[in-house]
Amino acid sequence: MRLPPGVRDWLPQEFAFKREIEEKIREVFRSWSYSEILTPTFESVEALQQGLGERLMQQTFRFNDPLGQSLALRTEMTTPIARVVSARLRHASLPLRLSYVAPAFRYEEPQLGRMREFTQAGAELIGAAGSGADSEALFMAIETLDAVGLSDARFDINDAAIVDGALSAAGLAGDELTACKELISDRNLVALRAFAQARGGEALETVLRLTMTRGRDEVLELVRPICRTPASQAALARLEAILARALVLGYADRINIDFALLRDLQYYTGFVFEGYIDDLGFSLCGGGRYDGLLPRFGYDVPAVGWMVGVERILLALERRRADERPRNEVDVLVGGADAAAKAERAKGLRVRVDTRDLDRDGLLAYARHKAIPRVLVGKPDGSVEEIRVEPDEEARS
Amino acid sequence: MPKGSLYAETVRRLAAAGIVVPENPGRRLVVPSLDGSADLLLLRATDVPAYVEFGAADCGIVGKDTLWESDRSVAELADLGFGGCRLVVAGRRADGYQNGVRYPTFLRVATKFARSAQTYFSERDLPCEIVALHGSVELAPIVGLADVIVDLVATGGTLEAHDMVEIDQIAESTARFVVNQVRFRAKYDAITSLLRRLERT
Repeated sequence: MRLPPGVRDWLPQEFAFKREIEEKIREVFRSWSYSEILTPTFESVEALQQGLGERLMQQTFRFNDPLGQSLALRTEMTTPIARVVSARLRHASLPLRLSYVAPAFRYEEPQLGRMREFTQAGAELIGAAGSGADSEALFMAIETLDAVGLSDARFDINDAAIVDGALSAAGLAGDELTACKELISDRNLVALRAFAQARGGEALETVLRLTMTRGRDEVLELVRPICRTPASQAALARLEAILARALVLGYADRINIDFALLRDLQYYTGFVFEGYIDDLGFSLCGGGRYDGLLPRFGYDVPAVGWMVGVERILLALERRRADERPRNEVDVLVGGADAAAKAERAKGLRVRVDTRDLDRDGLLAYARHKAIPRVLVGKPDGSVEEIRVEPDEEARS
Repeated sequence: MPKGSLYAETVRRLAAAGIVVPENPGRRLVVPSLDGSADLLLLRATDVPAYVEFGAADCGIVGKDTLWESDRSVAELADLGFGGCRLVVAGRRADGYQNGVRYPTFLRVATKFARSAQTYFSERDLPCEIVALHGSVELAPIVGLADVIVDLVATGGTLEAHDMVEIDQIAESTARFVVNQVRFRAKYDAITSLLRRLERT
């Protein structure tokens, strides 16, 4: 039996590694006082449509229930969380801090780092505006990648309002502005040049420069003259504030501003960021401010959030051959002593109970082979003998 | 680097930009440049976008026509201007097809550029069946495998030789300098410097 494309099995050792990484991520979420939430794997197409852009809707797995209702698997967690917050947590005091670690599903060409079923871990800070909330999202992401052992990860940040300001200064609006943003996001300089030539004007030359500008504080000075709208000036001030806070935490040299970083245009309304490592060609995590989403569910509050692809982290770690030590999965082997086994389990140990009626020598050989450090053997008189076991050469390697 | 028709000019342009490809790379697939500043991957042209999208290569040189077909997400930083060719719809002179009119109600199109051809005909609401081929598409209308072809022409000599005429131009293609979005950030200085040098040559 073959699996359909884009899904995979997790065999025990791989799965143990995945769980370990997920636990480290959860630990960071807890340390920032976020509460974990879970929404259904599938819900009605309409509910998802409320939040997802066209691209993600095209990637949803859809099906009907026997009564004909259209259902879809979630493609990400933010939209379901927006739904649940606007419906059931509307009276909770703001800001809300919610986190998740859950599988999501997208119909796309399976390839390295892109599966049809994948695990997202993320956090949403709902009901908080301003650069303090934006920084929280970014710093949590940095700490998360640090916690899983990717402390060389770097982060690029931007604010969508800066490009918006530059484009409207160039006289662009509506569809033209959106199309131009798409080209900037793709960093398609060839098409942007053609566009600038067709339209003429110096303002678009500025936009072209913006697309290639990336750096730290110095690039803020570079764009300050072109940020003439109040919104873009405010965006600049927010980025400055975030960089100042990052400096205090020692993150300044890991953060760059990339003015072409826009992520999902229809979704993010302000601050955006992405985290990556040098040896993978795709980002590991990302997020930003999406003030437009909750209002679509009838709850007018701002929000910022971010997510990390768990499988992508595993890929990054596997490539570095980190964590290769063989895992000892059993603490104690017990033969013919059920009560002793129960007592060991009660201590929180991982107990393996012999089901093959092995004698004392058999138990010891098995323990040596499996590198189990202790053996408990039940005696005919009801007593229990405890034996320490050294693993044999093969088990050690 | 794309092997094939763009190879010679790519070598020349890279050399002018300071990255000298050793002569006779032989059968090696990864070749260090003479000054050791870059590792060059010699790839089939159609594989260049995939290598760049995954970051297996930081950047690449590839024809725009290959980018249309690949649907890979790479950043197109410069039009290098060489390798110019046009993607056209062509048919047998004897059939007398003209742009948009006198096509059969259901068109059969032979092409190596299935994606571009499909997009072109769908955008014009022309129902068609794409016959995906890998070479010598000019043969298809002659033997009745297709009504028209969608193919690249540089000079038009091949069409002429098979008594075919151009019906419509779909797009123009030249060689592009493309980069991986994440590598662009990770190696910003090196990549922007190479871009400047390539644009100057």
